[in-house]
Amino acid sequence: MGITYTSIETTKLSTAEVYGRRLTELAAQDERIVVLTADLAKSTKIGSFMEKFPERFYNVGIAEQNMIGIAAGMAKCGLIPFTSTFAVFNSCRALDQVHSDVCYQNINVKMIGSHAGTSFGQAGSTHHAIEDIAIMRSLPNLTVIVPADGTETANAVAAALEVQGPVYIRINRGFDQVVYPRPDYDFTLGKAIELRAGSELTLIACGSAVFQALQAASELKAAEGLQVRVLDMHTIKPLDKEAVLRALKETRRILTIEDHSIIGGLGGAVAEVIAESGCACAFKRLGLADCFSPIGYHEDLMSHHGIDSNGIVQAARELLQLEFEESEDWGDEL
Amino acid sequence: MTVVERNNEYYSSVIFLNAALPLLKVIVAETKLAQSFATKSGKIQFAFTDEAGVKQGCHFSIEEGEWQVLSAVCPEPVDVELYFADRQHFNRFFKGQSKKLPQIKGWWQLGLLLPLFRALLKMQALLSAKVAPPDEATQLLLIKALFYLLSAGISQLNKAGHPVVRKWTQSSPDRVFAWSLTGHPDIAAYVRIKAGNSKAVRGSYERSQPFFTMRFADPESALGILLQTADLLQLTATQKLIMEGAPEFGAKIGDMMMLVGELAQP
Repeated sequence: MGITYTSIETTKLSTAEVYGRRLTELAAQDERIVVLTADLAKSTKIGSFMEKFPERFYNVGIAEQNMIGIAAGMAKCGLIPFTSTFAVFNSCRALDQVHSDVCYQNINVKMIGSHAGTSFGQAGSTHHAIEDIAIMRSLPNLTVIVPADGTETANAVAAALEVQGPVYIRINRGFDQVVYPRPDYDFTLGKAIELRAGSELTLIACGSAVFQALQAASELKAAEGLQVRVLDMHTIKPLDKEAVLRALKETRRILTIEDHSIIGGLGGAVAEVIAESGCACAFKRLGLADCFSPIGYHEDLMSHHGIDSNGIVQAARELLQLEFEESEDWGDEL
Repeated sequence: MTVVERNNEYYSSVIFLNAALPLLKVIVAETKLAQSFATKSGKIQFAFTDEAGVKQGCHFSIEEGEWQVLSAVCPEPVDVELYFADRQHFNRFFKGQSKKLPQIKGWWQLGLLLPLFRALLKMQALLSAKVAPPDEATQLLLIKALFYLLSAGISQLNKAGHPVVRKWTQSSPDRVFAWSLTGHPDIAAYVRIKAGNSKAVRGSYERSQPFFTMRFADPESALGILLQTADLLQLTATQKLIMEGAPEFGAKIGDMMMLVGELAQP
């Protein structure tokens, strides 16, 4: 008995591949769609588009700044360019072009940043994107979307196409746990999705943290009977301020969870809304605590930074000032 | 005093004592053997004397056909005991490598002994299967037994200090690894690990979604993987085997499954 396999053969599970497939479908209906990559077609799973529409696919080489500049020029000519590269290169290396060529001119470029957060954990800090939400959401005109799983990524790509202006979609390396088993849920840009109702605490999460927040809410319900609200804040900008204020008034306790620095990302955006509301609230941001991440598997890094379900449960306990007894029964059921 | 060496012989005996033999309870409960024990009460023990001269074993306490498994030598006299000369004899017998019978204490308790032997033969036939049994009821029983064997085997190896398993659990946060069969919620098992601790449980983890689940679409694909007669990649590609969780951790639990399998086989 047993099992052996490598991750190479399971690429069909990848969120990035879902993006590639959905974009290929959309491109069949809209000839203006073109794709650019900075020599990362395979890693960003955009190969399906390349095979179907080779004349609309551009590999600019390892030159992210050029890629964004070229995309801006294409958009000026009426095309709808989708750029694909790692989130860290999109938001840091090519920032000047994103700022001046795309956002300042408010042109129709859709930027897909993959391997975001610590999802490419094994590649090290140079490939972790832990500041991109903070950087991108501060740029005027730019819509910022952080989907929770593959299904939501497909919806986000379709929604981005409807936006007249620049969009940044932040996705993971892949293998995300499923949050949405079906695509026909109410996905609207700028509107958070209440995945779980609750009145004692609200967990506001984005990206890979959404699944973890759901699991934490289940654990808190099972352990203590707590009714925990879970919001999938897939659009960081424009933020669903109404959902935040509703949570503030109805639960009085908010935890934000993101695979990103606690500075300037989802937590920062939610904190701004809370501070401007003038209402008091028990509040904590979970994410990377102003530090670079060690190297490791994504799941282990999420655990390390306290943004897995265990970390969220622990933070919720502290926020609620509850004492929980740990189960010490480690006897096997025989 | 002789120090007991923690080698594969040792870990095999841990598997047989605390993960395989407890399956007798399941096999009896889910087959016609239940009738043979329906009105029976008594204590049955499997034991051997280890390298340090200490008696090791597990026993079953049966009350009116209800079985309780206890992973230790019974402190009181038992009604029936199958006593093996040493750890090697014990392992070889359950691996099917030795036909030398153990010493049977309480052989006159035929009311317990005869159905016990039938149960042992049933278990041996089930666990030594190289291909899927022909009928679905036996297939389902085998899958359940293997799920239980794997979860308990991994946890028991951890508790016994197996270096590979121990290293894995010690560095792990609170995580649940599960096995399940679609359409059969009663056929499931999981092992929870946390900072060196482990707990094997029968059934599904209900508090939240497990950290990793190996979900089989049907009995054929489950046995294909568990008996190593099917191609894993093909089953994954056709959604017969669904890995819920990151593949790296699927590979890790796969390694642990292999380890249990290797220790339990000749």
